[in-house]
Amino acid sequence: MRLAAVTLVMAVAFAQAALSQSRMIEHAYGTAQVSGTPERIVSLSYIGHDFLLALDVKPIALRHWYGNFEKAVWPWAEDALGDAEPVILYGGIDIEQIAMLAPDLILAQWSGLTEREYALLSQIAPTIAHPKGERAYSASWQQMTRQVGLAVGREDEAEQVISDIEDQFEAIRSAHPEWQSQTAIAILPSRLSAFGARDLRGRFLQDLGFQFPTAVSGIDDFDPNFIRIPHEAIGVADTDLVVWVDTPDVNDVLAAIPLRHTMQAFQEGREIYTDYELTGALNHSSPLSLPYALDRITPLIEAATDGNPETVVPGWTRDGKVIQP
Amino acid sequence: MTGAARSSLVLPVGLAITMLLAILSLRFGLRDIAWPEIWNALFAFDPMNADHITLRELRLSRVTAALIGGAALGLAGALMQAMTRNPLADPGLLGVNGGAAIGVVISIWILGASAQAALIAPALIGAGIAAVLVLVLGGAAHRSGPDPTRLVLAGAALSALFLALTWAVLLMSREALDVFRFWVLGGFTGISMTQVLAVLPVYAVGFPLAFLAARLLSPLILGDDAARALGVRVWLVRLICVGAVVLLCGATVSLAGPIAFVGLLVPHLVRPFTGVSIPKLALGSTILGACLATFADLAGRFLLPGREVEAGVVIAMIGGPALVILVRRRQEVPL
Repeated sequence: MRLAAVTLVMAVAFAQAALSQSRMIEHAYGTAQVSGTPERIVSLSYIGHDFLLALDVKPIALRHWYGNFEKAVWPWAEDALGDAEPVILYGGIDIEQIAMLAPDLILAQWSGLTEREYALLSQIAPTIAHPKGERAYSASWQQMTRQVGLAVGREDEAEQVISDIEDQFEAIRSAHPEWQSQTAIAILPSRLSAFGARDLRGRFLQDLGFQFPTAVSGIDDFDPNFIRIPHEAIGVADTDLVVWVDTPDVNDVLAAIPLRHTMQAFQEGREIYTDYELTGALNHSSPLSLPYALDRITPLIEAATDGNPETVVPGWTRDGKVIQP
Repeated sequence: MTGAARSSLVLPVGLAITMLLAILSLRFGLRDIAWPEIWNALFAFDPMNADHITLRELRLSRVTAALIGGAALGLAGALMQAMTRNPLADPGLLGVNGGAAIGVVISIWILGASAQAALIAPALIGAGIAAVLVLVLGGAAHRSGPDPTRLVLAGAALSALFLALTWAVLLMSREALDVFRFWVLGGFTGISMTQVLAVLPVYAVGFPLAFLAARLLSPLILGDDAARALGVRVWLVRLICVGAVVLLCGATVSLAGPIAFVGLLVPHLVRPFTGVSIPKLALGSTILGACLATFADLAGRFLLPGREVEAGVVIAMIGGPALVILVRRRQEVPL
């Protein structure tokens, strides 16, 4: 009887130990099993290195997205990267190159990884694609942070990072209860395309309290993350706050939108422009870039939504042109 | 009705339908503009009225581009089929579209261009380089002039090369892919009058040259030797013909992206009405090309809620089945 009890206790202990060492991470293409602390992490998500660095984990290779920065990470991640010199992966996913790196974990949450690529990569190392139930680029930064935390065995740190940043959002939201009843949209002016409700940039505005305009979600585009707005129907994007994200020659591009000056957002000074670096921070929407983005964008939105058309939003001239450095 | 009567009637009817479609294109779209507002937009313009701005700065330039671009592609298709004596010849065979595509992706990749207006010059340069290469490889410098078969082979080879290079750039640059995948559909949305005016000089040379080529090509129906016996300088005729096709297609692809099927399909639709006469075929294809492009641009506004389907996509949807029907019926006039 006593022997049986001891055996049972030991069995439970073993099972617990095994569970704590081997973590199951569910994602769109299956379940990855990771045990111990991964040492050689290849980050294939275009923004994934930010998420790892936020948990103080350095990948051995990271994916170049855009921007000319020495180590392919943007300024907000430079300190976290420190002296580490990860391999920079350019272009498409090169399975052989990744195999040569001998990874023990491959993170590919925001990479557009295909099922075929997953089938190959998962033979090299446990591979994590975008979260289950999401499309390739529709996961929230919280979902991705949580998955990364689980994968590298730092669940507690991940939760801490998430709640820190959610607190920052909450502080801004509660300071601006009026935003809850307003709509907002972020638009790439060169293509007149709006970031969708489940896109990182669309989610950012909703995290601040704004609502996504239903007229835009009604447009049946092939890519729900990046909804093209026909020029003559620009009224659907005439929201309480219009965020024009950075594009080369932005003033020429804005001037080439014939109906812009008929938008109420234009007439009432409810437009903001996010410059190159701020747009980059929104594009990354990572635990490292979000605090930077919030610091910079909040005064702009406050000036735009103060209800006074006379207020000139920082970064704009009085007649609605972007001030270029 | 005799053939002559049919062909004399078909041109005014085609022209009338095209004009009607053009007027409907001003009226209908995602934003309904009432008839009186169209009049006011043209003659009593209010710069703060969204309907007026839509008509003047969006629809007018769009329908102009569809009319000119469609006409250019139809005409170029007629010339290509007549010159190569191949009913399946298409202006795309000369590698112009491929050249324009590589120009576009390189400019996005290296110069960071993303606005539609910024893509016109690189597309035109790419198309021009492709055209010169095709002409040289096709034997334009040869004493007897460019040989149709060699031209098409050179065009096909260069198109394949350009396609490979285009994909190489697209694999390296995600931004290039993001812009390119919309450019490659082809369409007339978002074209401004400034852009139309920018390529107008190319058309101004291309159209007269093409009609001249259509007249000069007629003796070549009898074969090169017979034409030479009649005193025709075959190499010069071919050179003019290819030059005209390249100008027309280069201008159109840089303005509206690659639009397939117009050049291939339109001459087949026109031939039963005009018979073998190349000048008549050219004129008919010009009108029907404009008609088809304008129709496709208009139809694209009604297919999906809240958005516009590119004319290039609509034309491909019409063109594919139409070509199959034409081939099945085998009623086209032999070349």
